[in-house]
Formats: sequence, structure tokens, C-alpha cells
Amino acid sequence: MSASITGLLKPWTPRLFLVRWSRYNPYYLEPEPRKEVYHIPETELTPEQKEERELKSVRPIKAATNSVTSSVFNDPVLSKFVNMMMKDGDKIIAKGIITQTLENMKRKQVEKYHKAPEGKKAEIECNPYAIFHQALENCKPVIGLASIQKGGKFYQVPIPLTDNRRRFLAMKWMITECRDNKHRLTLMYEKLSQELLAAFSKEGNVVKRKHELHKMAESNRAYAHYRWW
Amino acid sequence: MAASSGRTVGSFLWKCGNFCFNFNTVSSNLTRQVLSRQLCVSAVFHRKNLAAAGPEKFSEEFIKKQVEEFNIGKRHLANMMGEDPETFTQGDIDRSIAYLFPSGLFDNKAKPLMKHPDEVFPKQRAVQWGADGRPFHFLFYTGKQSYYSLMHDTFTKALAVEKHQDRLRGKGLFTQDAKQISLVGSRWLLKEELEELLVETISDHDYARFIQLMERLLSLPYCSAEEDFVQRYRRQLEIQSSKQQVQPLQYDQHGVAYSTGDGRRKTATGTVLLRDSGSGSISINGTNYVHYFPVLQDREQLMFPLHFMGVLGRFDMQCSVSGGGHSSQAGALRLAISRAMLSFLSEGQVETMRQAGLLTPDPRIKERKKPGQEGARRKFTWKKR
Repeated sequence: MSASITGLLKPWTPRLFLVRWSRYNPYYLEPEPRKEVYHIPETELTPEQKEERELKSVRPIKAATNSVTSSVFNDPVLSKFVNMMMKDGDKIIAKGIITQTLENMKRKQVEKYHKAPEGKKAEIECNPYAIFHQALENCKPVIGLASIQKGGKFYQVPIPLTDNRRRFLAMKWMITECRDNKHRLTLMYEKLSQELLAAFSKEGNVVKRKHELHKMAESNRAYAHYRWW
Repeated sequence: MAASSGRTVGSFLWKCGNFCFNFNTVSSNLTRQVLSRQLCVSAVFHRKNLAAAGPEKFSEEFIKKQVEEFNIGKRHLANMMGEDPETFTQGDIDRSIAYLFPSGLFDNKAKPLMKHPDEVFPKQRAVQWGADGRPFHFLFYTGKQSYYSLMHDTFTKALAVEKHQDRLRGKGLFTQDAKQISLVGSRWLLKEELEELLVETISDHDYARFIQLMERLLSLPYCSAEEDFVQRYRRQLEIQSSKQQVQPLQYDQHGVAYSTGDGRRKTATGTVLLRDSGSGSISINGTNYVHYFPVLQDREQLMFPLHFMGVLGRFDMQCSVSGGGHSSQAGALRLAISRAMLSFLSEGQVETMRQAGLLTPDPRIKERKKPGQEGARRKFTWKKR
């Protein structure tokens, strides 16, 4: 006797004007577009993975979005960065800027590689994707501040940050820094590649901003007990 | 004549087994039987409450007689239609009745029907007390005797499992990794299904308490002893991949396999003709795909299903697409390609494609503008005065 809930799972329009809702029924699961996951043989699966597979076989799955592919060049972090750079829905321009940035970074690094002495060549990172990820890691703050009201006054209280929030702050700082604090006539990809290379070697304004946030959190340590969650 | 029971009609039919010969006489009898049955049950059939309001209206003997009459009538119907009475299913009955009694009515519930009495008469409870007025069940005065007795049974079983665990602990044989009941692929009974099982109405709170108690039973490490009891209150979920409709492969005059697929995304619709020729050329609305989709992302979307299955250079595609913008056209074609590819793939591969999100049509559309706001989300500028 099989259940027939799935007959009722049409694109889900809520009755009232809700704010955070999706066209998918909450019963749907997220898709997994990567190829390697499906080539693991049965014997090498952990019990949790086996359970997840069984669950996926009975639940409907959402459609993959149009920015996601099974290709090796598909990077979720880079896609998120492109979306954050995008203005007025113009993804073509944003993606173009990112591609030029990566090419520019690669050119600079390869130039440095050819000019470097033999002993130092191995230390120079030429892969622009690796540089991007490392630079973003170096910009991520570990602790953040929240404005909490106590006794009529607002205090800046140090709070832990989730992974998503940290990644968002790193990307946001990078983009705003490149848009606001650079020379007016340099193009965006040039500004971005300079800032990313600086962040890769833990210099530059974004990393400085992260350190300042850490110092503020350290100085406000006394108010840490105002946090109730 | 109205009193002629199924048996006389049946014997009459068995003698002459010919449908056309007996059509007029038999059909009038059958009509009278069916209609009379329907008249007394039409109001009852669509009532949903189970704990019937008031004393039971249909006695057990009555229901048994109805079942017998239904079975005999089913065999007569099969004979009339010239089919085998042994393998006559409910679907066949519905079709035969629709054929014999064509109805011009629009409402499905008003048309003639012939269903098993269990589906027609709501399940009712036999009288709960004896001749002396004393109720049989000790929980009768709670008002929901079946529900409370079920809760008591479940709790007794939980206590028994805990006692078993304590005994094992005493002997030193207690281990955390005892065999667990597998719950994947099944769900708890819905409140309506539980009500049907207990033949009683229960509230949402009662249902929540029942699920809570069952979860508590399942949280004990040695609960596998009560697996049968638990599985009685769970239903299997159907495997999703069995719902995919895969068209069979077609072959053209040169023996080359081909298949078609169509897909939609927002307002764009696309169709694709996939040929197993081995060249890997793609033409969209007559032009090459590189010229039609200058953006890399759209071309990546076209290649996604092919790359995922590892058949990049194998297929030849002729696509036509209209409506929407470039992104939605690419999405529509991606869905069309995935659907066309299903005919070339095995069951396991179809399931992996489904889990990758390639076979679900994207339901996201442009959100409507609401009254009192400027757009879907944007509100009018707030002015203090």
C-alpha cells in the first residue's frame, strides 16, 4: 500500500502573502549535480550515505538551477561571488568581470614565476581558483559584533558567526572595497585582481578590515555575557 | 418483479449465456438492483465521519448480504460483457457500468456506480454494550476507547522493552548497536488513516501524542522486538523513479535510433530531436548553437545532461525553441534533452538523472505584483506625513 501524498505536490502557492517561501513544496529535496557522487560503489558507502540514498529514492527532487552544472569548472563559491557582484540582474557582465579577473591574476602570477629564481619557483601559486579560495579564506572573520540593547544603551557584543555569514562578509568587503576605495579610472577586474592577490599574501585593506573587527571584538570582551543565545 | 433476487437472474443468465439475447430483461433487473442499491447509499457514500453519529444504521448481516449480492452481480456483469468472471477487476466494473448506463450528467458523483460495499458503507462500530447495558470495553467511558487502548498497548510494549534491556544490563549483555528498525522509505500513518483504522474521531493533539509515544518506543535500542507492531502504523512511500514515463526508442529508415523530448521553463517552450548518429552537432531553430547562445552559461546548460551521462559527442540534436529569454530557453532545452535521453538510458541512470535535478520541471515563475505595493516585494516610498 503506497502513500499518495505526491499527488498533492503541485507548485506550492501560499494562501496568504508570506515573505520567505518557495515555489517548491517543502517535501522536495535539494539536487546533487556532481558526477563523482554517483560513481562511488555500494561497498564504500557509509551507513548515513546509504540512508540518504534510500531517502532520496522516495522523495521528489527540486530542479537544478541554471547556474549549476556537473562540469569541473562549476564552483559554488565562485557562483555566489558572481551573484553578489551582479547589478540589476546582469549576470553576463558580472561573469565577464570575474573571468577577466582570474585571467589577470594568472598572468601576473605567471610573470612573477618566470622572473623568480629557481629556488622560489615552487612557492608561487599560479592556479587562479586556488588563489581566489585562499584569498577569501584569509578575509573571513572568525568572530563578529552584534548591537544588543541593554538598559537603554546599545553595546557592541562579540558573537560567533556561521560559515555562511563569514563567507558573505568576506565577499561583501572585497566587493565594496574594490568599488569604493580604488582609483576611479582602473577597471573592476584590475582592482579585484590586485585586492585578491594582496589578500592571498595576507596584506591589503580587506584583511586589515578583518583584523580591525577582531580587535574590536577583543576590546569588547567584557560585554560577551550580554549574548543570550 | 422488483423482488427478483440476484439468484434468479443469475440462474436465468447461466442458462442462456448470451449477452445480446437477454439485454433488455437483464439490464432492467440489474438497473433496478444497481439503482436501488445506489438510492439507499448515495447520501451515505460521501459522508466522511467514521464514528457514526448515533446507533449503527447497517447491521452486520445486512453488510454481508450486500457483499454477496455485489459479488454475484460482478460475475453477471462479467458474463454480460463477455469477459472472464474470475479476473474481473474494479476498473473493468467501472468501464462496463459506464458503457451500459451512459450518463449525460456532469457531476461524477451523480453517475451510476457499482462499488464494493466496504467502500460504499462507512465503517461502523458494532454496539458497544451488552443486553444489560454494561459496556464490553473497560475504557468505554473515555469516549475514545480504541485510541486509549492503543496508547496503553504501545506504552506496555515500551515498558516491556525497557524491562528486557534492564535484564540484559544485569547480565552484562547490553550493547548500544542492536539491530534497529529501518524507517527509511516509510512514513507514519496520517491522522485520517489512523481515524479510519480506529473507527473513531481523534483530535490533532491526540494524534501528536500518539506519534510522540511511537517515537519514544523507537528511541529504545532494543525496540526491534516490536517491529511488527510499529510497521502496522507505517505506510511505504512509493519509489519516485517509477513515475518517470520513458518513451520507447524509435528507428528511422537508415536504422539510426532517435527520440524526441519537450520542455518548458517560465514562458519558453523547446522541443528536441535526439539522434544517435555520433557526430555531436547541435542546431537550434536552424542556426548553430554557438551562434544562437553566445553566453557560456546557456551552452553549459545544454551540455549538462550530456556531460553528466558522459555521452558528449554521441548525439545529434535538432532543437526548436520559442518564448521567454535566453536563460529560460536554455533551461527549457535542457529539460527537453534530458527527457529525450531517457529512452537511451537504463533504470539506474534514469534515477541518477532524477537525483541530479535534471528531470524536474522548474516551477519558479515571475512573482505577481500585489495591491498596495509597487512590485512583488518593493513597497511604496514611506512618507511620514
